[in-house]
Order: sequence, then C-alpha cells, then structure tokens
Amino acid sequence: MKALLRGILAGLLVWPCLLLADPESAVETGVNEEVQTLKQQVLELNRDLFMLEEELLFPSNTQVSVFVSMNVGEFFQLDSVQVKLDGKEVANYLYTRRELDALIRGGVQRIHIGNLRSGEHELVAFFTGKGPQGRDYKRGATTRIKKGLGPKYVELKIVDQTKNFQPEFDIKEW
Amino acid sequence: MPKLPLQFLLLCVWLATTSGSYAVSVKPQQVLDLHYGEVLFHFYQEDYFTAISHLMVARQQNLLQHHLNESELLLGGLQLSYGMPDQAERRFDRLLDQNTDADLRNRIWYYLTKISYQRGHYRRALGNLRKIDKLGDKSISTELALLNANLHMALGENDKAADVLKNTRAPDEWEEYLRINRGIALLRAGELEEGRKTLDKLGKVDADNEELRALRDRANLGLGYELLRAGDAGQARDYLNRVRLQGPFIQAALLGAGWADAEQGDYKQALTPWLELLELASYEAPVQEAHLAVPYAFAQLGDSKHAIYFYEQAIGYFDEEQQQLEAAIQGTQSGELLSLLSQADTGNSGGWLHDTPTLEGVPSGRYLVDILSSHSFQEPLKDYRDLGYLQQLLQQWLENIDLYYDMVDARRLAYQQRAPLIRQRLEKQEAKALYQRWQDYQSLTLAQHGSGDPLDLATGKEKRQWRTLRKVQATLASLAPEPRHTNMLAKARWLQGILYWQIQADYKARLWDVEKQLQSLEGPVTEATSKHLQVSEALDHVKVGFDGYDRRIAVMRERILTLLPDIQTSRNNTSDQLQRLALKELESRRQRLASYRIQARYALARSYDQIAQQSGEQP
Repeated sequence: MKALLRGILAGLLVWPCLLLADPESAVETGVNEEVQTLKQQVLELNRDLFMLEEELLFPSNTQVSVFVSMNVGEFFQLDSVQVKLDGKEVANYLYTRRELDALIRGGVQRIHIGNLRSGEHELVAFFTGKGPQGRDYKRGATTRIKKGLGPKYVELKIVDQTKNFQPEFDIKEW
Repeated sequence: MPKLPLQFLLLCVWLATTSGSYAVSVKPQQVLDLHYGEVLFHFYQEDYFTAISHLMVARQQNLLQHHLNESELLLGGLQLSYGMPDQAERRFDRLLDQNTDADLRNRIWYYLTKISYQRGHYRRALGNLRKIDKLGDKSISTELALLNANLHMALGENDKAADVLKNTRAPDEWEEYLRINRGIALLRAGELEEGRKTLDKLGKVDADNEELRALRDRANLGLGYELLRAGDAGQARDYLNRVRLQGPFIQAALLGAGWADAEQGDYKQALTPWLELLELASYEAPVQEAHLAVPYAFAQLGDSKHAIYFYEQAIGYFDEEQQQLEAAIQGTQSGELLSLLSQADTGNSGGWLHDTPTLEGVPSGRYLVDILSSHSFQEPLKDYRDLGYLQQLLQQWLENIDLYYDMVDARRLAYQQRAPLIRQRLEKQEAKALYQRWQDYQSLTLAQHGSGDPLDLATGKEKRQWRTLRKVQATLASLAPEPRHTNMLAKARWLQGILYWQIQADYKARLWDVEKQLQSLEGPVTEATSKHLQVSEALDHVKVGFDGYDRRIAVMRERILTLLPDIQTSRNNTSDQLQRLALKELESRRQRLASYRIQARYALARSYDQIAQQSGEQP
C-alpha cells in the first residue's frame, strides 16, 4: 500500500512541477512554412485586387475619402459620426469600444469612400458623444471642399477646443 | 485541471512578452500620413490581416512618405502577429542592414528576440536580447527582464534567471508578474527559502481584481506543492489553505491539502478535502486521484469496509469514465472535432479563438476544454481559422471579379456608343477655333495701343448709330442744297461728333476692360485646348485600358483559382494536425485512467485479502 501512496504522490508532485516548467518548452509555434507562404500569397493577391477594385469603383479623378481621427481628453467618449456630402448622407457610424480605443491611440478611420465630380461640394459632419458626468454632446461642422483631378482626402479631426475644452471638429483637406 | 494553471501561468508570462509596450507605443501616435493612421486603426483592433493589406496598398501607392521606416517595422511586427515569422525575420534583417537609428534598431532586436523565442532558439534569442541598449523606461526594462529570465529558465539556467529578476525594479503594475516569475526561478534554482519568501508575499497580497486573485492562488498552490515535495507538509498545508474555494485552482489545492494531512499521518483529517473533491462530480485529474486516495485513507485508518466501498465506487467511476473516453476518441476519429472547429469560422480575420465554441452535445467536448486552451493547440487552430478566413475572402473576391468583368464591359459598351459622337465634335476643332478667336482679339487689342482708333472699341449699338449717321449724311449730301437740308446735315455731323466724343471719352476704360476680359479668358481657353487634347488622347487610351483591365482581371482570377485548392489542402493538413493533437490528449487520459483502474483493482483485492485474513484469524 505504501507503494500506491508513493505512486500517487509522485504523480501529484509531478504535475504542479509542470506548472513551474519553462513556458517556452510548451510554446510550439505550430506555424508551418506552407501556411506562411499561403498567407503571403493571399496578402499580395488581396493588395492587387484591392487596388483594381479601387481603380474601377473609385477612379482617382473622382475619388473622395473622408477620414475620422481624434485628439481629445479622456473625458469625452465618442458615440457616432454622421457625414453628408451635398446634402446626401454618405456615412452614419456607431463606434465600438475597441474602435474608440484605436482612434484614441492615433488610429485614423476611413469612414467613407465615394465619387464626386470635380468642383466645389458641401460637406456637413456631425458627431455625438458623452462628456464629463455623462453629458450628451452633439456638434456639427460645415465646409466646402474643392474636388480637383486627383483623389481627395478630407480629415475630420475631433479635437478639444482650447477656449472651452469641449470637443469640436477640425476639418482638414489633404 | 493540470493544464489550467499552466495555461494561466503561460498567459501571464505571454502577456508580459507579447503585447508589451515596447514593440508599439501605447501613447497616441503623431500621424503624418492619413493612410498610416488607417493601418494603425486596424492594427490597434488586432485585425492584422486588414492592417497588413492596407499597409501593402499604401506602400504600393507611395502614400507613406512620412512613415517609411516605421511602416517597415510595423509591417514586420504585423507579420509576426499574423503568424508569419519567416517573412517578419527577413524584413527585420533587411532593416538592420540599413542605417537605422538606435531606437529603431532596439525595436528590431526586440522583435528578433521574440521570433527566436517562439521558435525555441533560446540561445540565439538571448544573443539578440543583449543587443538591445539600456533603456530608461521602467516598464520596458521590466518587460525585457522577464523575457530575459524566461530565456534563461528555458535553457535551464535558473540561477541566472533568478539573478536577472532579483536585480529588476518593476513599476507597480508589473510587480506581481515579476514576483511570481522571480519566485519560480528561485525555487527552480534551489533557493527554496528565498523562493518561499517571494511567493509568500505574493500569496498574501491584497488582490482587488480576479487576475491578481488567481495569481495569488497560483503562488500559494505552487508553494504548497513545492513544500510538500520538500517534506514540509505542515507548512504546505498552510499555503494550500490560502487558495480560494471559488478559484480555478481549488481542486488541486484540496488534493494537495489531503496529501499534506496524510504525510503527517492524519488520514482522518485528509478525508475531509478528499471527500469534498468526490462530491464535485468532476472528471479532472485531482478528482480522479481523490477516488484512489479516499479508500487508501480508510485503509490506513483500518476501516476496510469503507475502503472496499470506495474502491468499488472508484472502479465504477473509472469504468464509466473509460466508456465515455472511448466514445470521445471514436467521435474525434470520425470528425466530430472538425464540426466543433467549424464553429470557429467566424468570418473574422483574427485567427485567435477568443470565445471557446460551445462543447454541448459533443462527447469529447469536456475533455477538449483544456487542450483547446493550450498553446500547442491554439497555434494550429489559429492557422486553421486564418486559412478559413482566407478561403472565404477569396471566394468573395471570385464572386466580385465577375462583376468587374461586367463593369468593364458596360464601360466598353458606353465607350463604343459615345466615342463616335465625341470624335465628331473633336474633329470640329471647337477648342482650336476658340483659341484662334481669342488670339485675334488679343492682336486687335495690342494693335489698339499703336493705332488707337476708338471706333474699334465701339459697342454694337454705337456702331449701328455711327453707320446710320454716316448714311444720313451721305443722303443729305446728295440732295439739292436747300437751307433745310444744310441744317439737317449740320445736325447729323454734330450728332456724329457727339457720338465720337462719347466713344473716345470711354476709350481707355473700354480698352482696359477688354484687356481684362481677354486675360480672364486666357485660362479657360487654354484649358479647353488642353481638355481637347486630353479627351483625344483618352479616347485612344481607353480602348487599350479596357484590354488591360481584362488581362488584369483574368490574371487575378487565375491566381484566386490556383490558391483556393492550396488553401483547402493546407487547411485539411491543419485539421489533421489538430485531430492528432486531440487524440494524443485523449489517449494520454485513457492511459492514465487505465493505470488508476489497475491500481484500484489491485488495492481492492488487497483489501478483500485483509478482510479474509482478519476473518480467518477471528473464527
């Protein structure tokens, strides 16, 4: 019976020791070269397809892209952004926590890509969110953008106004 | 159960090294190219495939002029995160060959360390790590120290690992992780007392969140077992008692607590945690072992009846478990696992399994919970999911590509319908004629500066009036010279003089105005000429463009069709690999169970013998 005790006890003592075992030995990469090569091939193909699609759907002469970025304090939480071009709604976006974090860390979201004739156009943007004490915010901005021959990029940057520390749109044409 | 704490520990260590702050700054980044910011937006959401795709497109379109070096490093990091370490390593090596600044080189060496670490090339990883310069930031230094210690432990150099961690001062948020790693390194290096002190502190820490509480349990459990192994059962019991009843380590703690009591000869006391384990109706290793430990304790207490009862119960339990395990093995062999894994196809580009798929209704499900969360299974599972996503993506592109053909065809048709009309208009050379007229006016205006005839700038009405007055005068001059006619002629001449005076008086203003208008027309007229040329060239090029699109689309379609079967084959291989891993796990469980069953049967026979002997001795 002592042998049984020793057997069981030995087994018991082995597995907690496994807990102390080197983590890397268990880190089997599991990544084989075949999968890596396929990933690379698909990524390259995806890039080419993406560019072809863009050329066909949004030729550079008419392409317009609207981007959203943020540079605000921690107390403002963005809920949504709405964009209208020449009176027509082209984007109405609700943000997830994950997307907000990405924006706060410096990410820039392309909220709209479309086509516009060359010339002047009206862009109207609204954003909603919550400020300190859960206060609801809604702010808007209007601007006229000039579409030329190349692709047009417009950045809607939500920034804190230094005057009143409240978030506002800062619109920049690239 | 045994895998769970191991997995948890791995997770802690892995988090410390994988998502560390060093590779990518957590502070908001200054974005100077919108497209770089777009890549970061997807990267920060861990959507690596989309991030890499956007980065590749932006690089191809030359849209990252302000972030060239960073984008190269980011691409390497993204490839590493997306399970492409070979490509990442080659990229980092290329970057090191260039004249990169110290900070960039440090980050490259960090990534190269991680790649070697993941591949198990620990010595090489240590070499790479040493190339990182000393850093001022405490968090980064701690992260690197943990990585350094892990590498030493992997090489069996536990004393070096302990030294590294002893000399590291961690910021508050890292303290607990540093301490548990330090404690483990010390224990493994044989410095039991110091290791105990380190883990003891962690075991008493006032934890305000679940992660810390689990870490505290983990420290107490590890320490308890280590002391049990060292023969200090009394102290081991104290540490095991600290493990929370509701925590993930309770089964192991109860089992160890029983053995600590048993080691001290108190089998009655040992029965309390062991019997509690039997009530859990679990199939984990500690419960299985408790099924043997309980009758053993009764036997030690001389209670053969209870010993026999619990041995028989254990045999029944093992038999039942054995049957279920057999069913699970058969199920896995027949492809049940694949159906489970198919639940993992979420259409998401990130291959990590964040939510465990439901295991209900799958016989092998409960045995696979542990293996699903183990790293050796997660990596191929991630590949399997990644490949599934790539397959869906290419299928989607294949459907779209037919639309592109239609789109190009529609444009070609529109071209064929409109081109002749446009050519007709172009042949009229309207822009050229317009430009000629503009040039004529320009010459006329220039001539005005020389001749200065104000009548050239008369309005249409004035010219008509001028002509009428001249005509009137000519008519009057041809009539008989009567006083009435003479008066009328004089009046006509007077009116003509007035008209000329008016025109001359406005002459300078009119000349300036005409020049201004001609100047403002120069741009549009020149643009019209240039547009004429553009349209003319475009008409010729568009036709060639259509053929170009047709060729491009055909080539891409071919590339998709070539890749799809390769992905399917690779996915099948990965699923086979997963099946093998699962079967290996199930097989090891079967062997363990078989061993327990033999031990139980043997012990039961011994118990019956003892009773028989006792009966023989007491007629």
